[in-house]
Amino acid sequence: MAGDGAAVRLRDVVKVFGKKVRALRGVSFEVPRGAIYGILGPNGAGKTTTLRIIATLVRHDSGYVEVLGHRLPDERNLVRGRISYLPEDAGLYHRLTGWENLLYFAMIYSDTLEEARRMAELGVKLSGLSERDIHRKASEYSKGMARRVALARALMVGAELVLLDEPTSGLDVFSAYSIRKIIKNFAKSSGATVLMSSHNMLEVEELCDRVILINKGSIVAEGEPAELKERAGAANLEEAFIKLVGGVS
Amino acid sequence: MRRRGRLYPVIWKELRDMARDIKTIAAIAILPLIMMPFMGLTSIYVQTLQQGVAVVINEDPGKIVIGDHVFTTQQLVNEIENALKSKGFIVTTHNVSRFDIKVIIPKGFRANISSFTRLALIRIIKAVGSTKANAGESAVASVLGSFAHEVAVAKVDYLGRLARVKVSPSSVLDPIIYTTTLVGPSGAAVSVVESFRVMLGRILAFSLIFVTTPSIAYITDSVVGEKERKTFEALLATPVPRWSIVIGKALSASLIGLATGLADAIGLLLFFAIPSMTYGINLLKLLTPTLLAAHVSAVYLSVLASLALILPIVIRSGSYRVAQAFSLAIIGVASIVFFIALYANIGALTPSLRYLLYVIPYSHAVCMIKQAVLGEVWNTILHSLILVGEIAVLLAIAVKLFSEEKIIYSKT
Repeated sequence: MAGDGAAVRLRDVVKVFGKKVRALRGVSFEVPRGAIYGILGPNGAGKTTTLRIIATLVRHDSGYVEVLGHRLPDERNLVRGRISYLPEDAGLYHRLTGWENLLYFAMIYSDTLEEARRMAELGVKLSGLSERDIHRKASEYSKGMARRVALARALMVGAELVLLDEPTSGLDVFSAYSIRKIIKNFAKSSGATVLMSSHNMLEVEELCDRVILINKGSIVAEGEPAELKERAGAANLEEAFIKLVGGVS
Repeated sequence: MRRRGRLYPVIWKELRDMARDIKTIAAIAILPLIMMPFMGLTSIYVQTLQQGVAVVINEDPGKIVIGDHVFTTQQLVNEIENALKSKGFIVTTHNVSRFDIKVIIPKGFRANISSFTRLALIRIIKAVGSTKANAGESAVASVLGSFAHEVAVAKVDYLGRLARVKVSPSSVLDPIIYTTTLVGPSGAAVSVVESFRVMLGRILAFSLIFVTTPSIAYITDSVVGEKERKTFEALLATPVPRWSIVIGKALSASLIGLATGLADAIGLLLFFAIPSMTYGINLLKLLTPTLLAAHVSAVYLSVLASLALILPIVIRSGSYRVAQAFSLAIIGVASIVFFIALYANIGALTPSLRYLLYVIPYSHAVCMIKQAVLGEVWNTILHSLILVGEIAVLLAIAVKLFSEEKIIYSKT
């Protein structure tokens, strides 16, 4: 059943791995359609688990998850065609060229080969790679080039909800800047909802309309970056985060 | 955006990926191409290729006279030497210390063999652990059997003359004769060539051992490698159905099996052709289109069976180590079936063992070849259908066991 304006709706979501590891301890938030939301938190805070649950890859143990009006996990097959997901450190098929990596995913989302080619062409544009580079094998790419192709692969499919897990993690300054630029331009032009995780405070501040601060599986605060800084009496988001989670542990 | 359950993109990607891994493909395809002719050579010539040392000592040289018949011990020595040489022995009459077999004609041999009351002794000494010695003993025994028969004929002839009785030596020595007729599965008489064909069927069924395993490594890498290279997670979040990932990967990897099957068929032709060219034995006439088709199909289905056996494990565990452990188990089970195929007829085993073996897909691949060898087309088709059914069940289990969470969080 289609829901109202929320692209993502989580209520009291709990996820436990094994018997002891409580990855999420009752997470609740909503992401309106068309918004760019950032999930901010340190390593092990529960960012990736949250994104994987929304991406239909992991089942939550309790609570309520709704994506694009469909309840998970029951209606996951209705969700998969409308979302796209860029995992952290997402790789490419190294024996295929960049173009073939794009075309493979385009074929999954398209009805005809012609449509897939058009989608992959869009991917090439989004990646910003030259005609020569896009036809090189992915094994010959630098980390930054590979990440641009992987990001383009996630953005080109015309998803209503784009999930990006640490899109710039491990990249140098230039590559990270280039990735941020691609995300910014895409969000402006597509109107898709973007939910991205990061532990880079500056990145989130630059890209996101609204931020969810998460720590040890619980949401600590939620609001616009300026609002969070004001609430914590901090000069930047990094300082605000530290103050809101109760100092450096 | 429309979502469709499609197999094509997965197979497209897998084939491109595979086509660029030429080294692996070449290794997998070349293996049977080399192994089959090698098996053909070794199975036929192994005895002659193995060098052995035989010593023949004649301690009682001279004539053996029985009535009008005259033999010499040197004549016996020559026949033994020739028989041993034909089995690949280096024969010497010097008393060397290292040998595989030693044959001694002792002193008193001539007196004993020409006697009508005593037995003549030949001493055969075999080196312990020598596989060649048994072949040598059998060659010597054959010569001694003929020589003893000739002496026996001479003795019967001589005794008949002394008694003035008309005697046919063969009616005294071999009063019973028997005839043997070979029959096929239908009960109709067949030629001796058919028995050779059945033996070849066993060797061909055993040869499946070389083609079943390489694809296991390939499919393991296709699943676990994709997880390790961090491409799987993004794919799993797409609308591509899980069954098309499993079936797409299995079918693509099975094309290696097809390549192997074709290489194997060429190897099979060489297997038959080399003895034909070298020894003038026309084995190629045994290679019927049915046998060739059954062999290629059995190869392909055996590969698919290996993939279907390992896929549920790989899908569930997502681990190289677990996959390696289970692939060893699969190779072990396959080896048992193929060794049984070499020495026994699965269809003739006791029901409990036979039905247990029928649960193992490889048994039907073996039966396909053995039935094709006998010209039993319908039985060949029946076993191929059972094999396809077993493969389908295993692949369905793999699809059922598919769990995104297990794949993402398992340790490679």
